[in-house]
Amino acid sequence: MLPAMPPPTDVVFDAVAVYPQKATLRAALHSRDWSTCRAVLDAAAPMDRTALIGHVSQERGIEPFLRSVLTVDPADGTAAALLGTHLIDVGWEIRTGKRAKYVSREQFAQFREWLCRAEQVLIDGAMLNPGDPAIWKARLTSARGLSLGLAEVRRRYDRMQAADPGHLPGQFQMLQSYCPKWDGTWEQLHQFAREATEATPPGSPHAVLIVDAHIEHALDEGGLAEMVGYLSQPHVRADIYQAAQRSIGHPDFTRGYGWVGALSTFAMCFTILDDRNAAATAFRELGVLATEDPWHYLSANPAEEIRKARAWAFGGTR
Amino acid sequence: MITELAVDGVPVLLAPTTGPMHAGLAFRVGLADEPLARRGITHLVEHLALHSIGVADYHYNGATTTEFTFFHMQGAEADIVAFLNGVCRALTDLPMDRLPVEKEILRTEENGRGGNPADMLALWRHGARDYGTVAYPEWGLTGITPDDLRAWVTRYFNRGNAVLWIAGPGLPDGLELGLPDGERQPAPAASSALPVRPAYFSGPPNVVAWNAIVPRGAAAGVFTAVLERVLFRSLRQESGLSYTVRSGYEGRADGTAEITALADALPEKQGAVLGGFVDVLAAMRLGLIDEADMTAVVNQRAEELTRADETGGLLPGRVFGLLTGRPVQTLEQDLADLRAVTGKDVAEIAAVACADGLLMTPGRTRADWAGYAEAPAESTSAVEGVAYPMINHPEVRLIAGDAGVSRTGDDEIVTVRYAECAAVLAWPDGARRLIGHDGIQVQVEPTLFAGAGTVVREIDARLPAELRIPMPARDPDTIPAPPPAAPKPTWRDRARVLGGYASRYAWLAGLTLMTLVCGLGALFALILLITGDEDAPGLGPLAVMIALAVVMGRAAVAQVREMRE
Repeated sequence: MLPAMPPPTDVVFDAVAVYPQKATLRAALHSRDWSTCRAVLDAAAPMDRTALIGHVSQERGIEPFLRSVLTVDPADGTAAALLGTHLIDVGWEIRTGKRAKYVSREQFAQFREWLCRAEQVLIDGAMLNPGDPAIWKARLTSARGLSLGLAEVRRRYDRMQAADPGHLPGQFQMLQSYCPKWDGTWEQLHQFAREATEATPPGSPHAVLIVDAHIEHALDEGGLAEMVGYLSQPHVRADIYQAAQRSIGHPDFTRGYGWVGALSTFAMCFTILDDRNAAATAFRELGVLATEDPWHYLSANPAEEIRKARAWAFGGTR
Repeated sequence: MITELAVDGVPVLLAPTTGPMHAGLAFRVGLADEPLARRGITHLVEHLALHSIGVADYHYNGATTTEFTFFHMQGAEADIVAFLNGVCRALTDLPMDRLPVEKEILRTEENGRGGNPADMLALWRHGARDYGTVAYPEWGLTGITPDDLRAWVTRYFNRGNAVLWIAGPGLPDGLELGLPDGERQPAPAASSALPVRPAYFSGPPNVVAWNAIVPRGAAAGVFTAVLERVLFRSLRQESGLSYTVRSGYEGRADGTAEITALADALPEKQGAVLGGFVDVLAAMRLGLIDEADMTAVVNQRAEELTRADETGGLLPGRVFGLLTGRPVQTLEQDLADLRAVTGKDVAEIAAVACADGLLMTPGRTRADWAGYAEAPAESTSAVEGVAYPMINHPEVRLIAGDAGVSRTGDDEIVTVRYAECAAVLAWPDGARRLIGHDGIQVQVEPTLFAGAGTVVREIDARLPAELRIPMPARDPDTIPAPPPAAPKPTWRDRARVLGGYASRYAWLAGLTLMTLVCGLGALFALILLITGDEDAPGLGPLAVMIALAVVMGRAAVAQVREMRE
């Protein structure tokens, strides 16, 4: 059965579409208006707050401002989380997202330097605000980049869990650490994704962790053909469909934190698995919205990739 | 209630006890006073002094600590009198015939000691002098002579440098002591091998340890105990990462105190133990001191002090205080000081301690990310002088100059300057190990560096004899041999490898000869050509000879330059 409406041609990645308050936050950050920044972030639920911090942390030139905020109030956990995340972003931009063998010595040295600066902001932030999951989430990322080892990453994860159980933004970071390209093994990765999913009620977006784990595993297989081959294995297919039922396909699935990312991920998997109906359902829910991740794995132009996939799902040709 | 008395010119602190009588004679001398080349001399004196006491079934012992040496005994009054008089008699006339045997006993005792975290922290913090020498083996034992011992005893084991404690009803009859006259010897100033603090270095894989020097006092003591509670809670109770978690407080003569803390770790959990440890220290630095922890610590400490006071257990500490010029406090004063400690005091000490901290990270982990500077493990520069390349590995070089000795290569420089040399180990086979004040060492192995025999003679001539530590002969198998040559050396390298210097001279001579032959040949041919001789060669052979002469000549000059380096 094909939908009556023509597919939208737009692809919107901007988080403002999901978080209208991002515009206010960004403007307040630019005008160095910390009380408005705090008002926006304090009003957000924990996972949304962490997401919002991540959406503005790449703004340039905010370090001096955030340091001045911390000078006035060293215990401002929000400022610590934002500054720490910002410093990590700067470092990671220098490192680039490439595999280690393609990163130069000089890039690694600078990367480490920025992460060390981030960590020193985050250590104090975490001690003064042990219940702030955004700080612990940032410390998961810095620990991974600083090669502090899986045991330390896990210790931080446990602290984050104590602060906010099932804090999905941090769970995505933990998932990365469990990848063999960082510190873990495939077994640990899949087990973590399963356990994190099972710890949350059906309808929550956490089951996307299971799919993300499979995508990471699939990417490691080689090119696109191998990736398709991996995801098409019966047990992987079954995992993906079960995860969909538990999250985006569940009646309790809401448009809370992570809903666009989850739908976007499932839409890509269903496209790869050649399930036009399931892909169309996900795209219909998304409307024009999408996330670059994980589409960027398929193409340097994820918007174009999404447009094509959506057209196909809504009845077009491949 | 403490009574201050004197016996034979030695101050005495007397206090009643509810338990058995005990007494101790303490001297202001310890490991920190020993130059590295005399390391072990105080311990040797202690052993010799106790030897004459015999092997009877008494509760007596001696101890040599960083700043003090003491002899103590628990028992009947008459036995205590005999013990103290006996020790003093032995100190004035050490049984030198026992010297070889006691040295052997000490060596055996030392073999049972491993490098513990406290020693490693001391070494990295202070280097190879005063408070750092505790980390080194008793290297002085071999070379110590009866004269050395007499000089040491005269300086340190005298009535001016001693204080006696007695826990009992009164001063016992018959106490004579009879120590010679002498002066109070102040403890040495503590050296630092850490240009920047807080700092870190990598230690064994199964432990995280930390120390700091702070102003001594009740607040520092409370902080030490609070730190242990918080570490225990975080690393053991909450996360199950460590089993043993401990902290320690030790006052120093100069008015400071050393605070030490450690937590053990399974190697696979080392990163998490380090991370948890760093977080706890950061929380302390930020002044996050829990009132409940404070209260618990103060109450526990007050009870310990009160109990210890009943049995005279506080006397040794008071004696050490007196030996370093601190007035004798009463229990009431101690308790008042303790109760007066506020959270703010502890937070202030915590901030000072964390700023001064030295962290021993487990295995290859680092702590740069937490704001700790890497403690120096190598030197900043090499001395100027003659370079001796390592046989087969010329990139490693031994450099000997007027200022000292360096070894360079493998991206590392280690230098010991003669003016800052703590000791030199000397093996009969010619090997030398120079140890700098900063603890950095340069090993000179004559078998590894062609011409290093000259360096050994230079070292022996330049360093004063009192820095020399004679070492026993090494098993020939343990004397290092040059590493095998790098695979596939170039033809020039191979020529050099064959016989070190000899072949290099032969190579130079050959090059020079060939230059001369080709040059003269070319000159001769040129003359023939100019004079129009019929036998003159063509322009081709002439050019070849000139070219050969130039190539050989340049190679010879290059060789001379290289050998000069």
